[in-house]
Amino acid sequence: MSEHISNLVESKLKKIKEEKNVFDTGKVIRLKDYIIEVSGLENVAYYEKVTIRGKGMGYVNEIKENSVIVAVVKEDKPIEIGDTVNTTGERFRAIFAEEALGRVTDLFGVDLLTGRAFEKFKYIDIERPTVPIMDRTPVNRPMMTGIAGIDLIYPIGRGQRQLIIGDKKTGKTQIALDTIVNQGQIMKEKSNKNDIICIYIAVGKTKKEIKSIYNELLRRNALSYTMIVAATNDDKTTVQSLIPYVGLSIAEEYMMQKKDVVVVIDDLKAHAQSYREISLISNKAPGREAYPADIFFLHSRLLEKGCQHKCGGSITILPIVETKGGDITDYISTNIISITDGQIVLSEKQFKKGQIPAINYGVSVSRLGGAVQTEDMKKLGSGIRRELLSYLETKEVYELANMDEMSPELREKMRKGKLIEQALRQNKFSPLTQDEIKERFKMLGEDAK
Amino acid sequence: MANEKEVIGRIIGISELNVKVLLFNESVKLNDILTYEDEDGIRKFEVVQIDNNVASTVPFERVIGLKKGGAVTLEKGGLQIEYSDAILGKVFSPYGDVINHKELKSVKTRNVYDRKLSFKELNINNAPLWTGIKALDFFAPLQKGFKMGLLGGAGVGKTVLIKEIINNVYKRLKSNAVFIGVGERSREGQELIEEMQESDLLDKMSMVFGQMGENPCSRSKAVYSGLTLAEYLRDEKEQDVLVFIDNIYRFIQAKSEISTEMKRVPIENGYPTSMVSDITDVEERINSIDKGSITSFQAIYIPADDITDEAVQAITTHMDGQVVLDRKVAEKGIYPAINVFKTTSKAVDAEVVGQKHYDLVQETLRYLSRYEELEEIIAVLGIDELSEEDRMIFYRSRKLRNYFTQPMFVSENYTGIKGVMVDIEDTLIDVEDILNGKYDDVDESKLLFRGTLHE
Repeated sequence: MSEHISNLVESKLKKIKEEKNVFDTGKVIRLKDYIIEVSGLENVAYYEKVTIRGKGMGYVNEIKENSVIVAVVKEDKPIEIGDTVNTTGERFRAIFAEEALGRVTDLFGVDLLTGRAFEKFKYIDIERPTVPIMDRTPVNRPMMTGIAGIDLIYPIGRGQRQLIIGDKKTGKTQIALDTIVNQGQIMKEKSNKNDIICIYIAVGKTKKEIKSIYNELLRRNALSYTMIVAATNDDKTTVQSLIPYVGLSIAEEYMMQKKDVVVVIDDLKAHAQSYREISLISNKAPGREAYPADIFFLHSRLLEKGCQHKCGGSITILPIVETKGGDITDYISTNIISITDGQIVLSEKQFKKGQIPAINYGVSVSRLGGAVQTEDMKKLGSGIRRELLSYLETKEVYELANMDEMSPELREKMRKGKLIEQALRQNKFSPLTQDEIKERFKMLGEDAK
Repeated sequence: MANEKEVIGRIIGISELNVKVLLFNESVKLNDILTYEDEDGIRKFEVVQIDNNVASTVPFERVIGLKKGGAVTLEKGGLQIEYSDAILGKVFSPYGDVINHKELKSVKTRNVYDRKLSFKELNINNAPLWTGIKALDFFAPLQKGFKMGLLGGAGVGKTVLIKEIINNVYKRLKSNAVFIGVGERSREGQELIEEMQESDLLDKMSMVFGQMGENPCSRSKAVYSGLTLAEYLRDEKEQDVLVFIDNIYRFIQAKSEISTEMKRVPIENGYPTSMVSDITDVEERINSIDKGSITSFQAIYIPADDITDEAVQAITTHMDGQVVLDRKVAEKGIYPAINVFKTTSKAVDAEVVGQKHYDLVQETLRYLSRYEELEEIIAVLGIDELSEEDRMIFYRSRKLRNYFTQPMFVSENYTGIKGVMVDIEDTLIDVEDILNGKYDDVDESKLLFRGTLHE
């Protein structure tokens, strides 16, 4: 048996050497949706780009003893058994084009608005190794969103990964868009412009949704510094599962140019589902909720790309996760919470009450907290947060108690709590500067001590 | 280099975490390291399974660009890490390379799987060890040589607690320590290294990091490498060693990923069949002998907030004590967010901590469990409907709950309050006073985030 395999390998190797053909050809022998098995590709590399002659494109996902598994990323015509597959000698890569700023680009470097490919571009790896620990520096510069409930209470720093999580229609994407628009305000206020880049990554969204986000950003003059990297819901599942990595590879290019990049991934639940689909089709053993064992690694290595790099540039990531029934303790949500540096939880209840942005202050967290705030914001913020949380907790317990019988301290706490809640209300696209936030909360903050 | 060594096999199959090698001779064993060199550099693989003459190996790093047919050589001795005084002040990768820009003049290395403790060697030491964290010392006191599990779901404060313990125990005792980062954030690793360096504390410590951005091979090896460092300090330097592992759950998680790629049949929730023996292998090494002790603090992640998870249960079996952090408590702004009912320790025993401490724990738990029942009643009827006795329990329990919050040194930045350490004797006095009604007239919010109450 072993000798047989050995002979087989030796003879095939010999054949390759004799023919000296770099570009191998093979044949499709098995089809399972977008995962195909190909025989005959002996000299192919793991992750190499292959073309299915005249019909599409894919990359090598596994090399077996006698065949190769290819994940198809593009299929112009239906692939059939017996189709010829060619190797290319190139790694499967994505495209980085500076001119894609202000546009909507896909994995292949095509401008979705015009349908034409970008002309000036360079190839970049879809995924690069994680930035080593020693190349990172502390996350300590504020990344202002313009939203008081975030900047004051659960602040985000440049290089932080802050999850935005909540049910449908609670304003998750709106918070991301507000943040992107506010980056333009920040650049306008400062003299050195163009040092912030925003990347919005759409995973499995509809074309309609992506177009309306494009229009929204266009209307707010945010496109000069924003790129939309999109895999629509009718793209191949393989493409949907790769698109966040592509977006972050583009972000890494800008980070190494010493820019501060803000990346929004909308959303990771859809991403997890597309990866689960591929895994199950590839016969990987299912685990909890039928997700494969490496579902954590899928997101951890993606989100670890967010960092403050020693070169001065940074990548801030705002991943979005959609929940059901307000439950943030499901498998995927808790996985991602355990990766990010905090979460902004949006609740339907708050939204319906008109408490917008609908942040649930009780369960939201910023692990970096005051470390990414200026000294005065930190002082004000920690006082307000303590006061607010204590009010929310007390409110629950004493809701049925008689106000008149409460101690004066308790009554005062309830009054102040209500005022803070009111002050945190803010409409969309109406960012506040640090000074405006300080002004609005100054009185309440002084009380809070 | 490669051509000087004997070629012992050829690559015949490649996937993300499984490189198959056709072996030419029988000398290859499990855990051996195979190397392959091409223009992209040296790649290494560890043998995890041998079927006849085909070895399944796990690559140390990602395998993009690797081709079939490559000739591999054998690296003798398997995975090694430095085993000398040179380990102190160093930060290692899971594969034994120093990553904190310090030169390592290798004196002696040792295989990371070698050490097994015999029944005879084992020593059950029992001097108490205080952390200065009120809730921990009161509800889950620990002794030298203990294994303390710090359990919690995502984002309830495990890492903050482990960092606080490093701050309080390692800094105070000045004993040798090993920090093992497994599958956690690189940012936190960077911060820890920097903090230790800035406060000149790195010289008595070594660290190993296999963080969450790295492949499962790196993450699982970090544990073995880290333990070998701790064993050096215990066996050769004869020290009382502190070992911090953040996070041991990630070790099982990494093993699951490898197991799946090997196409082995999983048990519930996708965990590997060998889960119990995998965790036993490493936990049995974390023990004390006559010459020196290992006291360990191990963060344990609870996936999907499900404390009955098989992996979590398999790990906690090995613990002498556990601190359980609870999302429901954290939501109320109570930090550390300890669930007092699930937080336990073998040392909560009148013979170990004394009758007074034991009695106070029992009484406190009695109050707090009644409080939980009362909360439900109040939600329907309001406070006014309670009996005199219950109302007293209700108010005092809320004070107890608030009293066990504590400002942490490591979260000063977040809370804006300076951290404090509290002596266990002071905690006992305060708890007794609260139970006896000494603070009945004080507003409950005055007890939040304080050290001791009495002067």
